[in-house]
Amino acid sequence: MGKLWAVTKREYMERVRTKWFIIGTILGPVVFAAMLIGPAYLSLRSRASRDVGRIAILDATGAGLGERVARAMARPAGDTVRATAPASPPAPRVRVVAPAEMARAESVATAEVVRKETRGYLVLTAATLAGDSARYAGRNASSLRDVERLRTVVRQEVLAYRLGAAGLDSARVAQLTGPRLALTAESVTDKGRGGSGTATAIFAGGVAVLLYFTIFLYGQNVLRSVIEEKTTRVAEVVVSSVKPSTLLAGKVIGVGAVGLTQQFVWVLGTVYIGAQMAPILSRMAAESRGAAGLAPGSAVQQAAFAMPSVSAGMIVSLLLFFIFGYAFYSALFAAVGSTVNSETEAQQATAPILVLLIASSIVIQPVMFDSSSQLARTMSLLPFSSPIIMPLRMGMGSVPPWEVALSLGVLVLSCAGGIWVSARIYRTGLLMYGKRPTFGEMARWVGRAG
Amino acid sequence: MTTLAIDVRNVVKRYDEHVAVRDLTLAVPRGAVYGLLGPNGAGKTTTIRMILDIIAPDEGTIRLFGEAHTTERVLDRVGYLPEERGLYKKMQVRRVLRFLAELKGVPGAEAERRIDEWMERLSLKTPEKDWGLAKVDELSRGMQQKVQFIGTLIHDPDLVILDEPFSGLDPVNAQALKDTVVELRRRGKTVIFSTHLMDNAERLCDAVCIIARGEKVLDGLVSDVKRAHGGRHVALGLDGGTSNGVAGVLGDRALVARVDDQNRFLELELAPGASAQALLERLVGAGAQINRFELVQPSLHQIFLQKVGAVGVEAGMSGHG
Repeated sequence: MGKLWAVTKREYMERVRTKWFIIGTILGPVVFAAMLIGPAYLSLRSRASRDVGRIAILDATGAGLGERVARAMARPAGDTVRATAPASPPAPRVRVVAPAEMARAESVATAEVVRKETRGYLVLTAATLAGDSARYAGRNASSLRDVERLRTVVRQEVLAYRLGAAGLDSARVAQLTGPRLALTAESVTDKGRGGSGTATAIFAGGVAVLLYFTIFLYGQNVLRSVIEEKTTRVAEVVVSSVKPSTLLAGKVIGVGAVGLTQQFVWVLGTVYIGAQMAPILSRMAAESRGAAGLAPGSAVQQAAFAMPSVSAGMIVSLLLFFIFGYAFYSALFAAVGSTVNSETEAQQATAPILVLLIASSIVIQPVMFDSSSQLARTMSLLPFSSPIIMPLRMGMGSVPPWEVALSLGVLVLSCAGGIWVSARIYRTGLLMYGKRPTFGEMARWVGRAG
Repeated sequence: MTTLAIDVRNVVKRYDEHVAVRDLTLAVPRGAVYGLLGPNGAGKTTTIRMILDIIAPDEGTIRLFGEAHTTERVLDRVGYLPEERGLYKKMQVRRVLRFLAELKGVPGAEAERRIDEWMERLSLKTPEKDWGLAKVDELSRGMQQKVQFIGTLIHDPDLVILDEPFSGLDPVNAQALKDTVVELRRRGKTVIFSTHLMDNAERLCDAVCIIARGEKVLDGLVSDVKRAHGGRHVALGLDGGTSNGVAGVLGDRALVARVDDQNRFLELELAPGASAQALLERLVGAGAQINRFELVQPSLHQIFLQKVGAVGVEAGMSGHG
């Protein structure tokens, strides 16, 4: 065991000491936090901003549509009762313009936008009343949320106007056009309702992608380590002191421990930064709710920030799938590494392994759409994809315990078999130089005693 | 307790297309410097790797110090310098040596002490510069060889196995290696090295084994080997070169088996059944101007050529050493 420890320690210490490890480990949480917070921040920013209030409306309809739109924009959407809520956005200025004067009015409005007195202007004409078209020009014309909000309001007010014109009284119109629908999606598991469906999917997908990258990254690390020992010829000195299987085991454990260390720091760091950022995020959310006119505390807003519940069992199985998945792949990488003479050759030789790994990553998306499909169930049982797909399915929703146990069992057995075969190829390949062996030759190495 | 450091019996190693070692039996006594001689591809490296349990023999047994050679305890007493040398390039020199020491079960503090001792001794650590703190690839080739050598001996092994240790060494390092081998022997260690350079073997070895095409050709103490092949070699010095008559005598295969021109003299091997007396009479009869006629002990080089011949050298040009 002393020798295994020596090999493991060397692999671990030499990696942890490199500046790339230190930089990557420190920067990781910053990048992850940015990835978590960035989209949230952007989506908050891109909600219809207060900008929609700071526009001019050029009304050439002659039917007062401009005033109606301005009033509608000034009240929080869909909540007519709270028209005087403190956070109401400013109302747009309305200019009633004769159709013939429109060209001149537009150039004046453009100049205002250029001088930053307004953010943009909305043009309402007879065509708008007819239900055909309206135009908007402004600095925020590329903000999908702002434009969508304008479109919704104009559409709604045109509808209200036309209903009024058709003889319905204004109270009835308000009542008919008022309803606002919020669709809340909440995921249901065996344990009952838990967390928002979207958050669960994002979390599970993130875990799967992280597993994929980690297995990929650290499997390649094992590969490079084997090639280094072979090309520098240090391998022969080492195997004169330790059995090749011990060397292989120490390598896989050492590199895997580096991976776990890095992820541990990453998770802690991300949680810490996330905790620091949370108050800022909720303040941003509160502001934007007011600005966008969304009812405070609406279900949609809350769901987006609810953390999915993660059980201890889930964490343990995640860890098991990572450990065995990583061991399975890195043993394969090591076997291939021992049969090549250079990193260039390794790129070709590892292609079959990469195909397996990449195939697993490709099905992440279909499995996220339907985590209980035949494809998902098959891929979560096959040992080459189960370390990525099974945790994904478990994150998406409950998976029958027997399926998890079966998947883990198959993985552990394949892992043991893979390591056994790899150790035998490794043992012979490590001291063979020159021509790369064929599959037939490798099969013979596996069969041979020594 | 056995007196043998290495006891190899009837070992066979086959590869897919050829037999690398066939029925090899070796006995290396404790405290000896032992040479494993043979042309390239004779099976020297394969034999050494089997002794070290890097590869397993297909048949036969190997024992080190009377124990099975696969046990960790006995392998920890062996130091190995492979023919193809190498170290972790990006690793600090001290850490490499510390790692190699740990692999042999040397405790950390003891390893540190020995590293200092060796580094100072091979002038890799001087008051001005401690190369131990540099990375391996910052060292010159000669210095890397020294580090490799320290790595072989850091655990103070009782048996030192060197595969082609002199290849690629500059004269200074070659001398240092020779001195170390002599010192190891003085301290009662056993040293076995392979080489195809007979001069080194002749100077350093107590005993040798010549193998060719995976088979043992001869083995024994160097003095015994030479004595067994002595009396059949004649050093012949001629004034005024070889005349036609003399050349005719030397070309007589019933009398002279082989002629090796050494420039200042000719080294002759007598044909089986021929006597030195008869040769001298024939030469005098042919009018040779003789300034030297001496029965000599053959060099290992001569014995090697006589025993292995050109055929053995060529047959072994491919595959493992």
